[in-house]
Amino acid sequence: MTVTSERVVTTRSARLTAHIGSHAQTIAIGAVLVLLLIFFSFSADRFASVGNLLNLIRQISPTLIVAVAMTFVISTAGIDLSVGSTVALSGSLLAIVLQQGWDPTLALIAILALGAAIGFVNGWFSSYQGIPAFIVTLAMLSILRGTALRATEGYSTPIDGELWIVQLGQGRIAGVPVPAILAVVIALLGWLVLTRTPFGRYVVGLGSNGESLRRTGVNTRRVGLTVYVLAGLAAALAGVLIATRLSSGSSNAGTGFELEVITAVVLGGTSLFGGRASMLGTIFGALTLGVIANGLVLLHVSPFYVQIVQGSILLLAIFANNKMWARFGAVRK
Amino acid sequence: MTDYEATGADRVVMRDIRKRYGMVDALRGANLRVGAGEVVGLVGDNAAGKSTLMKVLAGTVVPDSGQIVFDGRQVSFATPRDARELGIEMVYQDLALCDDIDVAGNLFLGREPRRAGGLLLDIKRMHEDARRQLDALNIRIPLTDIPVGGLSGGQRQAVAIARAVTFGPKLLILDEPTAALAVAEVETVLELIKTVSSQGVSVILITHRLQDLFRVCDRLCVMYEGTLRADLDARTTSLERLVSEIVAHDQPEGARS
Repeated sequence: MTVTSERVVTTRSARLTAHIGSHAQTIAIGAVLVLLLIFFSFSADRFASVGNLLNLIRQISPTLIVAVAMTFVISTAGIDLSVGSTVALSGSLLAIVLQQGWDPTLALIAILALGAAIGFVNGWFSSYQGIPAFIVTLAMLSILRGTALRATEGYSTPIDGELWIVQLGQGRIAGVPVPAILAVVIALLGWLVLTRTPFGRYVVGLGSNGESLRRTGVNTRRVGLTVYVLAGLAAALAGVLIATRLSSGSSNAGTGFELEVITAVVLGGTSLFGGRASMLGTIFGALTLGVIANGLVLLHVSPFYVQIVQGSILLLAIFANNKMWARFGAVRK
Repeated sequence: MTDYEATGADRVVMRDIRKRYGMVDALRGANLRVGAGEVVGLVGDNAAGKSTLMKVLAGTVVPDSGQIVFDGRQVSFATPRDARELGIEMVYQDLALCDDIDVAGNLFLGREPRRAGGLLLDIKRMHEDARRQLDALNIRIPLTDIPVGGLSGGQRQAVAIARAVTFGPKLLILDEPTAALAVAEVETVLELIKTVSSQGVSVILITHRLQDLFRVCDRLCVMYEGTLRADLDARTTSLERLVSEIVAHDQPEGARS
């Protein structure tokens, strides 16, 4: 290292480069989202109406809520594959206990506690026992899906539309769907926690250089466990929203949900290797998936194309982003 | 010959520290003594146990047996936090920085200034304090809000040292602080060590750059195969003597064990 290299970061343009470099993918996915919004506004008649956009946010809200939590998990260089099965189990059990006459408030608390407990088990195995999160949560994916199937025997369980809890999925406050409100509030909270609190700082630090963080005296295992509890909690809430939306709890809900959530997070620029996190990117990523699904349906394109397009966008975004990183190579290693 | 009795003037005395990793005897009864405000150079060949001994002192490695006396009080560390609470700070060889976190964030990692009852980071104060402390230590890093992954090796080392120094430690352990630095930056670090020790802070310096040792150290401790082989006065010892102790050329009897 020579003295001149020391000046690399001294200028304003260098600072700008550093900031663009670390936010390149967020900017990219934001641009993709804007382009898609413009495209569908012109090509699909009813796309750009307030009603449809609210509907779009409602549709994507379970994905967005879990993606916010998943951003924390992936920032620590972890992964949670069990969120889709958690959605199925929590929705199924919610319908079953309501059918058995449980008080809806009690049922909601119990289901959320179950989600947190599932996350605790995931976190205990991966963070405290050092078993790769991929394996732990893959096993949990299987266990929870099986449990949901066993509990429901494969049938859907109806939820009584008179119960207040149905409002969680179907209600509106001042015309705005409740799931959309919940998703926006949770996304804002997630952003605040990730960027403005010590916990968020430690989540990024854990994924960036966990040993360094441990040496500063932070209880890194507890941080590692907490992110899975958040993911389990978010997945249980998503399960409740989906079940109450449909007035039915199904053990087949949330199939492939974990992949959609991970797609949203990775689209947003959060690194699967940890350390680099963007909550804004996650929100953009989830909205992009929602816009594609909603817009294509309005264009009367076969829904089977939705996944093809979503997957292609993911591949393109990652590809373009790698090229951009190469350009800002002095900043990102 | 290198076994110490604890006395009142000593900041830290380590006695008969042992640590075994499977088949490897990393430490075989090592001793070390550091006085208040003293700069001790800890040298030895690779795998002599220098880093392990220092990690024991910093609380990141728990020894199998042995005694540590700090400021006249016997202590034991289960975590780095235990050691830090007594005022022992260590800067690690492998640069314990988080590349994705900015300069100010790394300076305060694990003890960030907070507001709103401890719930939120006080980011503004963090950057102000970081700027003040970097300036006070004469470290030239113009921006505190860029990730340390974007800094040069010398700047990263400076951030790592600044992090340890600015929290007022009683004992500062520097593991190869000058290994990756440009000549001018080495000077800065050596000056930094002198400044710190003149304020009564004890410093243990691990380095392979033997010429640095004679410029800042009071004593030179030589480790060999997990034990302390020699304890030399830096003012009267020659470079040749130091090298021969490090490679253990003369009289292996007596000095070992």
